[in-house]
Amino acid sequence: MIELQDLIAPTAFNPMIYWVLALLGVPMISFISNFFTKGKAPVWAALLLLINTLISVYLAFNYWYGEPISIKGTWFSVGDTTFGYSLYLDRLALIMTVLVNGISFLVHVFSVEYMRTDPRKARYFSYLGLFTFSMLGIILFHNLLVMFMFWELVGLSSFLLIGFWFEKKSASLAANKAFIINRIGDVGLLSGLMILFAQFGTFDLEALKALMVFSEIEDGNWVTHFTNNGQQVMNSLDGRWLSAAGIALFCGAVGKSAQFPLQVWLPDAMEGPTPVSALIHAATMVAAGVFLLARVFVLLDAQALEVVAAVGAATAFMAAFAALSQFDIKKVLAYSTISQLGYMVMAMGVGAYSAGLFHLITHAFFKGGLFLTAGIIIHQLHQLESDKIKFNSQDLRVMGGLSKYMPITFLCFLICALALAGLPGFSGFLSKDAILLNATAWAGQKGGGYYIIPVLGYITVLFTAIYIFRLVFLVFTREFRLPKIVGESGIASKLKEGNWLLIAPAIILAILSVSIVFGANVKAENTWFMQFFSVPIYLVPEAYAAFSLVDLTEETIKGLHSWVAIVSIGLAAIGLIVSYFLYRPISKKALVFQDAPEPRGPLGRLSLNHWYQDDLYEKVIAKFIVLQSKSIAWFDEKVIDGIVDGFAKIHVVFAHIVRWFDKYIIDGFVHLTVFASGRVGQATRSIQSGNVQTYILSALVMLVLLLLWLVF
Amino acid sequence: MIQGLLTYIIFTPLLAALIVLLLPKRFESTYRLIALVALGITMLLTLLAVTAFDGSASGPVDQESSLQMVEKTEWFSMELGSLGKFSVDYFLGADGINIAMLLLAAIVLFIGAIASWNIKQKKKGYFALYLLLSASVLGCFIALDFFLFYLFFELMLLPMYFLIGVWGGPRKEYAAIKFFIYTLVGSILILIVMIGLYNSVYDPVKTGLEHGITSVEQVQLAVESGEIKADEVVKTFNMIYMADQTNYIPGSLLAELDGGEVFGRSARWIAFLALLIGFAIKLPSFPFHTWLPIAHVEAPTPISVVLAGILLKVGGYGLIRTAFSFFPDSAFHYSWMIGFFGVFSILYGALNALAQKDIKKLIAYSSVSHMGFVLLGLAAMTVEGVSGAIYQMFSHGLIATMLFLIAGVLYDRTNDRLIENYSGLAHKLPRYTVVVGIAFFASLGLPGFSGFIAELLVLLGAFKSSSIIGAIPEWMPIVATIGLVLAAGYYLWTLQKMFLGKYWVKDSSWTEKLNDITTREYLMFVPLAALILWFGIFPDTLMNLINTSVESFVVLLNEATNR
Repeated sequence: MIELQDLIAPTAFNPMIYWVLALLGVPMISFISNFFTKGKAPVWAALLLLINTLISVYLAFNYWYGEPISIKGTWFSVGDTTFGYSLYLDRLALIMTVLVNGISFLVHVFSVEYMRTDPRKARYFSYLGLFTFSMLGIILFHNLLVMFMFWELVGLSSFLLIGFWFEKKSASLAANKAFIINRIGDVGLLSGLMILFAQFGTFDLEALKALMVFSEIEDGNWVTHFTNNGQQVMNSLDGRWLSAAGIALFCGAVGKSAQFPLQVWLPDAMEGPTPVSALIHAATMVAAGVFLLARVFVLLDAQALEVVAAVGAATAFMAAFAALSQFDIKKVLAYSTISQLGYMVMAMGVGAYSAGLFHLITHAFFKGGLFLTAGIIIHQLHQLESDKIKFNSQDLRVMGGLSKYMPITFLCFLICALALAGLPGFSGFLSKDAILLNATAWAGQKGGGYYIIPVLGYITVLFTAIYIFRLVFLVFTREFRLPKIVGESGIASKLKEGNWLLIAPAIILAILSVSIVFGANVKAENTWFMQFFSVPIYLVPEAYAAFSLVDLTEETIKGLHSWVAIVSIGLAAIGLIVSYFLYRPISKKALVFQDAPEPRGPLGRLSLNHWYQDDLYEKVIAKFIVLQSKSIAWFDEKVIDGIVDGFAKIHVVFAHIVRWFDKYIIDGFVHLTVFASGRVGQATRSIQSGNVQTYILSALVMLVLLLLWLVF
Repeated sequence: MIQGLLTYIIFTPLLAALIVLLLPKRFESTYRLIALVALGITMLLTLLAVTAFDGSASGPVDQESSLQMVEKTEWFSMELGSLGKFSVDYFLGADGINIAMLLLAAIVLFIGAIASWNIKQKKKGYFALYLLLSASVLGCFIALDFFLFYLFFELMLLPMYFLIGVWGGPRKEYAAIKFFIYTLVGSILILIVMIGLYNSVYDPVKTGLEHGITSVEQVQLAVESGEIKADEVVKTFNMIYMADQTNYIPGSLLAELDGGEVFGRSARWIAFLALLIGFAIKLPSFPFHTWLPIAHVEAPTPISVVLAGILLKVGGYGLIRTAFSFFPDSAFHYSWMIGFFGVFSILYGALNALAQKDIKKLIAYSSVSHMGFVLLGLAAMTVEGVSGAIYQMFSHGLIATMLFLIAGVLYDRTNDRLIENYSGLAHKLPRYTVVVGIAFFASLGLPGFSGFIAELLVLLGAFKSSSIIGAIPEWMPIVATIGLVLAAGYYLWTLQKMFLGKYWVKDSSWTEKLNDITTREYLMFVPLAALILWFGIFPDTLMNLINTSVESFVVLLNEATNR
C-alpha cells in the first residue's frame, strides 16, 4: 500500500532552491522595480532578463544529464490535508526556462527600440516582468494547484499587455475577451483539479502519477487504494470521471493554447504591441497549454486523448484556412499560431509526446522570428505616419516590395517562413514531420475514421505553405504600394531598415530556425531533442489506457517515414507553387492588391471571418447571456422584490382593515356595550330609589330565592 | 494575557459611544477622533486576542473546555414556575470559528471609522450610533449564550436602521425600513427557535450542582434514564451545550430522540429551517436577498462597508454556530437544498451583477454571488468546504470593504455612480485605477488574492462531498464554477467601460472634482490590499486559527449523519 504522506513529504533543504528563487525573483524584481524606474526601465529590465537567461543557461548545462531535481514543501494545511508546493527541474523544465528567458530577453531588447517613444514604457516593461515571472512559475512548479495559480497570473499579464494601449477601445475589448475566454478554459482546468483532489487528495504531480498507478477500474468505478497517515483510504468515483478529469485538464490547454472552440481570443490579442505578440501570443504563453498537457500526459486516458487529438486537428485545419485570406499581417500570423498550436495539441493526442514538445520549441523560434520581423515592418512603416498621412501600418495592402528597403528583415522573415512551411533544412520540417508520422501511425493502428486526423494535418501543411508564401510575396516583392495609396511618392525613400536593436533579435531567432541547430540530420528522431525526450508510459488503469506509440515496431515506423516525408514535402511544395501563381509579382492579384476587396465567395468569406465563430459567440451567445442577465435583473426587481414589497403592501392593507374593524366593529361593540349598559343602568336606576324598605324587601326576596335554590 | 480581554473588546466602543453622547456639541470635531481611537484600541485588543489564541488547543466545538478566553458569569435568573428557572449567562469565549470573524470585524470597523472621517451632518448621532453598532457586532461574534447573542443580534438593527435612514441617499427611508423589517422577520424566526431550544436543553453542570452530582456524564446519564426528571433540570441558553445532543432533555420538543413534531414533521427539521431562513436573510441568499442592493445603494459609504464587510458574515457565522451545530442531522437532511441555493445564489447574483448600471448595485449583487459560496461550502459538510466557507467570509469581508470604499471614492467626488457616465478614468485617475484593478481582480478570484483560496477550498470540498459524506452531488461545484466566469465578465466589462478607452465624463464639471486618491484614502486601501494579498499567499495565517475547530465541527456533522 502506498503512503500519501511519503509522496508529498517535504524534502530536505536543497541549495538548488536558491537558483529557482533567483529564476523567479529576477523577473519579479523587474515587475516591481519598473513601477519606479521611469525612463531607465528598458535597459534595466533587459539587463535583468539577460541575467535570468544566463542563469537558466547555466542550470541547463549543469543539470541536463543528472536526475530531475525535486524540491517539496508545505504551503498550508486544511484539516489533515496538506497543500504543498513542489519544484521540479527536469529536462523539460530546463529547456523551457532557457526558451522563455531567452525569447523574453530578445523581446526586451527589441522593445527597447519598439517602445522608445511610448510614455508608459516603464509600465510595459514591468508587465513583461510579471509575465516572465508567472510563465516561469508554470514551468518550475510541479504541483497542479500552484501551476494553476501561475496559469491565471499568466492570463492576467496577457490581459494587461493586450490592453496596454487601453485608450483604444478595441484593445481594451480584446484584453477582456482574452481574459474571459481563458477563464472559461481555466474553469475547466479547475474542475479537473477538483476531480483529481477528490480521488487522490493531493495536487503534487509526482504523487499523482504514483497514485494513478495504484488506481484501478472495478465494476466501472475508478478506485484508488492508499494510506494517509497510516490510515487506509479507498476513494472511488464513477469511471467516467477518469476521462472527465483528462478532458477537464485539457480545457485549460484549450483556453490558453487557443484551441477550438476557445481560439477566438488570439486573433484579437494582436491589439497588443507586436513584441508582446511575439513573446506571449506566439512563442511562450500560448505554448503553456501544450506544456501542461505534457506534464499531465500520463494521467490522460484513451478517451481524453482522442478528444485532444480531434480538437488539435480541427483547430490546425480551421485556423490555417482562416489565415489564407486575412489582410492584417499580424492576423495571418495569429491564425498561423493557432494552427501550429493545433499541431502540437494533436501530437499530444496521438501520443507523440516528444514530437509535440519538439514542435513547441521549433515553433517558438520561427514564429517568434516571424512576429519580430513583422514588428520591424510595422514599426518602420509607422514612422512614415504623420498628422497628414494616416494608414494602417499592419495592412498588407500598404506593403509590397519591402525587400528592397529592408533586406535583412526580408531574409529573416524568409528563413522563418520556410521553417513554418516545413521545408527540409529548416527546423519546422523536423518537428512537423515527426508529428505527422506519429499521427499517421496512430491512425493506422486505430483504423477507419481516425484517418481524418492525419488527413487534416496534411491539408494544413498545404494551407500553411500557401498563406505564408502569400505573405512573403505580398509584403516583400513587386513594388511598395503605400506611396500610391496615400498619393505621396516621396514617402518611399523615408522607409529604412530597422536599427540593430530590432534586427539583432530577429536574426538570432532566424538562425535558430535552421535545422542544423537541432543536429545535422533530416530525420526528426535523430535530432538531439528527440533523443533526450522519450515518450513516457501511460499510467491510467488498463481498461482506460490509451494506445501507445511505443508499442509500434521500428519497421512500421521506418516504412511509414519516407512516405510521410514525401507527402508533406510534396504538399508544402505544392503550396509554394500555388502561392507563387496567385501572388507572384506579376500575377493579376498582386498587381491590383492595393485595392483588393474583401473576398466575396462563400469560401472566402468563411475564411476571412474564421468560420463565423466570432459572430456566433458575440452575436448569439454573448447577446443571449446579456439578455438573460437583463431579464433576470428585471425578474429580481419586479418579481422577487415585488413579492416582498407586495407582502408588505398586503400587510398595510390588512392593517387598514384591522383598523377599520377595530374602529367600527370592536370599538362599535364597546360603544354598543356602553350604550346598552347605560340603558340598563337607566332602567335599573328606578330600582335604586334610595328607599331602605325597598332594599330590604328586595334583599329578602333574593334570600328566599337563594334558599329555595339551595334546598332543591 | 489580559483578564477579561473579550469584555474590553466589546465595551471599548460602547464606552466611546457614551463619551460621544456626553461631550457637548462644541467638541463636535473630536467625535470622529474618539471613534477612531476607540476602534483602534479595539483592533489592537483583538490582535492581542488573536495572537494569544492557540489554534491547536481548540477541541470539540460542543465542549466548553475547547474555548479560550472564556468569561462566564450568571447575568440574571428568575423562577418562572412550571417553566423552570430562567437563567442567562454573560458568556463570552473564542474558538476557531468566531476568532476569525472577530478579527475581520475589528479590521473592518476600524477601516469604517477612517471612512467616516468626512461625515458632515449630525456628527454626534452618527458616531454614537456607529460605535454602538461596532459594540453589538463584536459582541455578536463572541457571545456564546444564545440570549446574549440574540440581544447583540437585535441591537445591531437599531443603529443600522438610523445610520441608513438618516445619513443615507435619496431613498434612505425606504431602504432603512426594508432592511429593518426584513431582518426583523428573520430575527423572529430565530427567537422562536431560541425559545424552543431553551425548553429542550439543560445545563448539565448547574443541574448537577442542584442534585449534588459533580460529574457531567453522570448528570447526563441520570437525565437520560429519567432519574432526574425533566422539570428538575436547570435549563440553559448556552450555545456550546446546545451543540451537544446529550444535553437535550429526552422527549423534549427539539430532542433528537422522541422529539416533537410540528406540522407533522420533525420539530428539529422545522427549527433548522427557521434558523436557516433567519440567517439566510442576513447572509443573504436567494430569494431573501432583495433588501441588500437597496440598503447598500442608499447607505453612506462606511455603513455599506460595515454592512457588506461584517453584517453579512453574521448570517454565515450564525448558520455554523447555531443551525448546523444544533441540528446537524437536519442540516444533512436539507444539505441538497442548501447547496442548491448556494449554487443558485452564485449564478443568480452574478447574472444580476452583469445587468447593473449602478456600480454600487453591481458590487451588492456580487456579494450575493460570493456569499453563495459560503452556503455551498457549508452544505458540502467536508473540512475543505467548511474551511472554505469561513475563509470566504473573511476574504469577502476584506474585498467587499475595498469595493465599497472604491464606489465611495467616486461618489464623494461626483455624486454619481452610474457606470455609463464615465469612460477612460485611467487617464485622469491612474492611482485610483490601480486600486480598482486590484480590488476587481481580487474579487473575481485571481490566484494570489484571498478570494481564490476561499473559492478553491469551497469547490474542492463540495466536489469531494458526494464520495465522502454524500451531502451534495458532484455537479454543484462544477456548475458553480460558471460563477467565476461571470464574475470575470462583470468586473472586466465595468473596468473596460469606466476606466479604459478615451477619457469622458457625462458632466464636464466633474473633471475638476475628479482628483486622484488622497492620503486618507490610501490609509484604507493600502492595508486592505496588503491583507488581501497576505491571506491569498499565506493562508496558514488564518487556517492555523480555525483548523482544529473546523475539523471537530465536521466530525460533529459526520457523527450526526451516521447516527
